[in-house]
Order: sequence, then C-alpha cells, then structure tokens
Amino acid sequence: MSAPSKTDSAKRPVRLLRNLNAKIASIPMVATALVVFIGCTTWTVVHSFTSSKLLPKLDFVGWEQYDRLWGTRRWLVSIENLAWYGVCSMVLTLLIGFILAALLDRKVRFENTFRTILLYPFALSFIVTGLVWQWILNPDFGVQQVVRDWGWESFTFDPLYNPDIVIFGILIAGIWQGSGLIMVIMLAGLRGIDEDIWKAARVDGIPTWKTYVVVIIPMMRPVFVTALVLIASGIVKVYDLVVAQTSGGPGIASEVPAKYVYDKMFASQNLAQGFAASTMMLVSVIIILIPWAYLEFGGKKRG
Amino acid sequence: MAIVAQNSKYGQTGRTILAWAVGLLFFFPIFWLVLTSFKTDADAVKPEFLFFFTPTLENYTNMTENYDYWRFATNSVITSVFATIFALAVGIPCAYAMAFNPSRATKDVLMWMLSTKMLPAAAVLYPMTFLTKSLGLFDTHFMVIIVLCLINLPIVVWMLFTYFKEIPKEIIEAGQMDGVNTWGEIKEILIPLAWGGIASTALLCFIFCWNEAYWTVRLTTTDAATLSKLIEGNRAPEGLFFGRLSAVSAAAVGPIIVLGWFCQKQLVQGLSFGAVK
Repeated sequence: MSAPSKTDSAKRPVRLLRNLNAKIASIPMVATALVVFIGCTTWTVVHSFTSSKLLPKLDFVGWEQYDRLWGTRRWLVSIENLAWYGVCSMVLTLLIGFILAALLDRKVRFENTFRTILLYPFALSFIVTGLVWQWILNPDFGVQQVVRDWGWESFTFDPLYNPDIVIFGILIAGIWQGSGLIMVIMLAGLRGIDEDIWKAARVDGIPTWKTYVVVIIPMMRPVFVTALVLIASGIVKVYDLVVAQTSGGPGIASEVPAKYVYDKMFASQNLAQGFAASTMMLVSVIIILIPWAYLEFGGKKRG
Repeated sequence: MAIVAQNSKYGQTGRTILAWAVGLLFFFPIFWLVLTSFKTDADAVKPEFLFFFTPTLENYTNMTENYDYWRFATNSVITSVFATIFALAVGIPCAYAMAFNPSRATKDVLMWMLSTKMLPAAAVLYPMTFLTKSLGLFDTHFMVIIVLCLINLPIVVWMLFTYFKEIPKEIIEAGQMDGVNTWGEIKEILIPLAWGGIASTALLCFIFCWNEAYWTVRLTTTDAATLSKLIEGNRAPEGLFFGRLSAVSAAAVGPIIVLGWFCQKQLVQGLSFGAVK
C-alpha cells in the first residue's frame, strides 16, 4: 500500500491538466451564480441608501431608509414573527422528524407506503399547502365546525384568526410539509448506524432512550446538519405560506419580512424602503450563517 | 427468548398502528383537497357534506374549458423538464470535478453554493425583474428555465457530489489507464455507475421546479405561466370558489403525487441524499 503514494505524486501535474475540461465545465455555473447573486445583491444594497420611490434612482440619503424601517411597527412585528416561526420550526420539525424516524427504524409493517405518504406533503407546493390548511383551520367550515357538529359545541380551534397565535397556526402547515423530509433523512442516518452499537448498548444494559440521546444522536451529527440546512431554507420560504393562508392578517399579526419587502417594492411604490428591508434580511442571514459555517467546516479542516 | 420475541411482536403491532395513525393525519389534508375538488362551490363550505355529497366533475370541466388548464400544464412540463436537463448538464461536470479532483477550496465552494439557498429571494427580486424586463426575457420560457435551473443548481450539485463521492476513485482512475478522456470518463463510467443517484437527483429537481412559485408567479404573465400561476390567479377572498380552487390545486399536484408513487424508491433515496443503500 506504499506504492500508490508514489504514483500519486508522479501523476499530479497530469491530473491537474486532465480535469481541465471538468473545471472549465463548472466555470459557467460559478460565474452565473456570481453575477446573479453578487451582482443583484450589490445593486439592492446600493439602492437601499437612496430615496427611490417608483423607479430606482441614485440620489443618496444615507441611513434614512433604515431609520424609518426600524421605526415601523409592521417591520418589528415581522421580525418577531419570523424569529418565533424560525425557532419553533427548527425545534419541532427536528423533534417530530426524529421521533417518526426512530419509530420507523424499529420495524413497522408497510414501511415504504408509510414513508411515501409522509413525504407527499413535501412534494406539494407552498401555495397548495397554504390553501389546504387555510381551509382546514377555517372556523366556519374546517376542523372547528366539524367537531362542533359532532356535539362539542364550545370547541374552539381557530389559530389563523387569533392575532396572538396566528404565526403558530402557520407553523402547523410548515411542520406538516417539512417533517416528512426530515424523517426520511433521519431514517437514512439511523439505518447507517452499525447494528453492533445497539448490541453493545443492550449488553451494557443501557435503556433505549438513553442510547439514542448519548450514543446515536451524537453519531448522527452530519445528518442533523443536513436537516438543519434544509429546514433553514424552508424558513426563508415562509412568505408563500403566509400569503396563501392569512395575507399577513388579522391586521398585521402574521406579517413576515419577505412580505414587507414585496409590498414596499411592488404595492406601495417605495422601492428604497423595500431594498433597505431586504438588505437587513441579507445581513441577518449572513450574521447567522458565517459563524455557523465557520464552526461547522472551518474547524474540521484544521483538525 | 420466546417472551422477548412475543414482546417485540406486540411492540411491532403497536408501532404499526401508531405509525398509521400518524400517516392518516398526514394524508388527510391531501385527501380533503381531492374530495373538495369534486364538490360544487356551495357544497364545499358546508361541513355536513364533508364525506357525503353528490360528486360532480363541474370544477374540472370548468377548469379545462374556461381556464386553459392545458396551456399552463404544458408550460409547467416544458420549463421543469428543460430546467432539470440543464441543471444536470451543468451539475454533473461540476460535481465530478469536486468529487474526484478536490482541492482545498472544494468544501468552501460547496458551502457557499448551499448558503445561497438560504438567502432571501426578496433581496434579488427587484433587480431580477428589472434585468429580465430590460433584456426582453420577461414571460418567456427561456427565462423561466434559466431561473428554475439556477435556483436548483446548489441542491443538484450537492446531491450529485454526495453520490459521486461514494464511487471509489480507483474505478475512475482505471478508466484513465485505459486512455479514456474526461468526457468519456463521465459518459462511460461515472453516469452508468451513479445512475440511481442521478435519477433521484433529476426527480427531485423536477419536483422542485414544478412547485416553484415565488419566481414563476412574478416573472410571468401569460405566455410562460405555469400551474403555480394558475392557482395564484384563481385565489379569491376566503370562502369563495373553494371547489374550483381545489380542482385547480389537485390538478396541479396530481402529476407529482402519481410520479411520486411510481418513483417511491428514487424519491426516498434522493431525499436521503444517498445515505440509503
């Protein structure tokens, strides 16, 4: 086994050239992504310092748009909603996904059918998901009314119409859609764990739940990272769910930042305000993302 | 031993019942959607007709006759298929280079690409609209395909990368010994070997494209409008036209549900990112 290292080093310059085609092939993708993401993003950030109204123009007004943004109650409500939604959706989707996967891992009849059914919500677009749940949670003809018709007259379940909890009503649809996917990923992770570890734990008399918490979950760290990335990209898309279910109502109780941006840009012709809001979203994603990416990937490289 | 075996048997029955209860809970909304699509608009909002009603095809005939369902469906098929093909055509070489010829930057590039998935689309919405309009590409198939392809590329490259990584380097290197060039290597060795993974990736990419609403709704009006746009256009103030809206939604998600059923294995494999053997 010492021979390959020799051939490896001898081949290296050739290999650098050999893969040139593939390297060139990946350039268009990187270049387009750069132009679209960096280009468009820079454009947005620059214009957030102007007083653009109906059309973008370059008369700079400094931080004015940001001052106004943080003085707007609707924006503050949006931020708070997104934070609640984000944290709850992370915790609950991971928890439900993992529990379902653990359930399935220990042999269930018709497993494949069950798995597919749980995945179906994920194959539905956000618009359709939002619509379906809007109907189910509608107090006049959804679950609430059905239960009342069965005889439980005082039953109340109208999360989408109660300003205090509306964001959690939206969360129901989000979890319904996302947890099947997380379950499948978790299940794959669980199946990848060596049977011997379970046997060893059983021999040592460690209870099942403790084996999960102490041994299995730490071993599944990469799986959890993948799951978190997927959940995070779902959280960014909460806009579609909100628009389909409540349009931000009742009042402004379920507004989210992306909707603020969209309304400012296209409905109330206040472009710069929308740009400022989207810049804030961008900044907050970067603030959360960079330290995490550094910890997750930077640490490993050195080790 | 017998007791243990029996115990686990009861356990299994219990778990199966529990699992199916959860399954029903998950399936119910879809079931309701399909059920509602066969009700008239008036019946759809009456809880007493939840399960017992006179089914009607009115919504579907109305949809195909008055709303030009087939044009939207055709647009959805065209844009999703081509976007998937393009994404694979760009993604396979890219993932190949990353998997078999990794450099120090590979992990960073991969991470950076993935992180774009988390950026708020709202931040680039206006410039993109502006760009497509000024290039005369607004509401064209070409532009929709490019946008769909771009937003799904990170996931496509990432998934392909995880599949390709599983393939032993030696097999690819054996190809080099035989004097096969890079394209031959991809075509003759890599693609046949990673066929399952590529199929799963393609399926998933197709589903994502089909469901994409944020961009397709905002960058199209009629010519290139997809089914998402049709649903969006049929949305009415709450409580109105539920039957009609359900029919449109059911017809939009129907193909995916059927496709998903027949490609269960690929779908599950794709979504678990190659970790299921």
